Amino acid sequence: MDLEIDEVLIQKARGGNVASFKELVQRHEGKVAGVVRSMLGSTPEAEDVGQEVFIKFYESLDKFRGDSMVSTYLVRIAINLSLNELKKRKRNYARYGGLEEGHEARANEDMRDLKELLTHELNMLEPDFKAVVSLRLVEGYTTEETSVILKIPLGTVLSRLSRAQIKLRLALSKKLKP
Amino acid sequence: MNISDSEELFLRSLDAELSEGDDAKLNAALQQNHELKNRSEQHVQLREFLIRKEVDSFGPFFAERIAHRISQLKSEFDYQIFFFFKKYQLLAAGIIIALLAINILVSDQLSIKSILGFEEEAIEEVISIDVYSNLIK
Repeated sequence: MDLEIDEVLIQKARGGNVASFKELVQRHEGKVAGVVRSMLGSTPEAEDVGQEVFIKFYESLDKFRGDSMVSTYLVRIAINLSLNELKKRKRNYARYGGLEEGHEARANEDMRDLKELLTHELNMLEPDFKAVVSLRLVEGYTTEETSVILKIPLGTVLSRLSRAQIKLRLALSKKLKP
Repeated sequence: MNISDSEELFLRSLDAELSEGDDAKLNAALQQNHELKNRSEQHVQLREFLIRKEVDSFGPFFAERIAHRISQLKSEFDYQIFFFFKKYQLLAAGIIIALLAINILVSDQLSIKSILGFEEEAIEEVISIDVYSNLIK
């Protein structure tokens, strides 16, 4: 039902109806925000990336054939743009390493509860691992859906999940109940 | 099977179905190994903590901001189209002006018709004089 309505909205948006596209944005904002925030954290860049996701979707409306659901298509764009943003951050980190280290040290001092620690540890994961954790463990996609969205084999999803979880558990073992 | 292998097996059991053999191995390891049991409980806690419990959002008026950006994109596109064809528009206007100028120069009179390239009608075409028919008579 939802898919049908999405398709109708897409048809109208293709014809230049901005109100229909706005409706699509309102409908899928939650999913996109969840994925982008779990990848980038609650940073100002997260909203910029969120906007870019929908603009890219708007620009590619004619290419969207409806083979996958709109939400899956959007989440895929969100993951790709978030990975690009993480790469950019990494480059900036290399360039302005000193500043970032200072920020890092302050973050370590400030981290007191589990949520902060977890956010910090999630940010320390490699981007590819973070994408798997975000989709499977934060957003609750199945392993199969995660594999489809990221276009990687199911076995890779499982092994990345396993390695990421072990890393997170080791980092947080003192804060978690035995 | 060492504890790390058992831990990986436990994690795999949370995301995929294990074979009967692996399932039995995992259950046996969980019963025998207290450390593995602790780790498993920590993983379960972590996963409960990680899963999103409420719908996220980019804040109020996000859709409106997108709609605004789209309308900006459209006007930007119109602007680009206009400037893309501007050189052709100027070229066409130049050709028309040149043709009009040539017409003025070639023609010996200055009238709208001559400027637009319409030949002035000769007097014979305006007043038909049937000279030949009179001659025969």
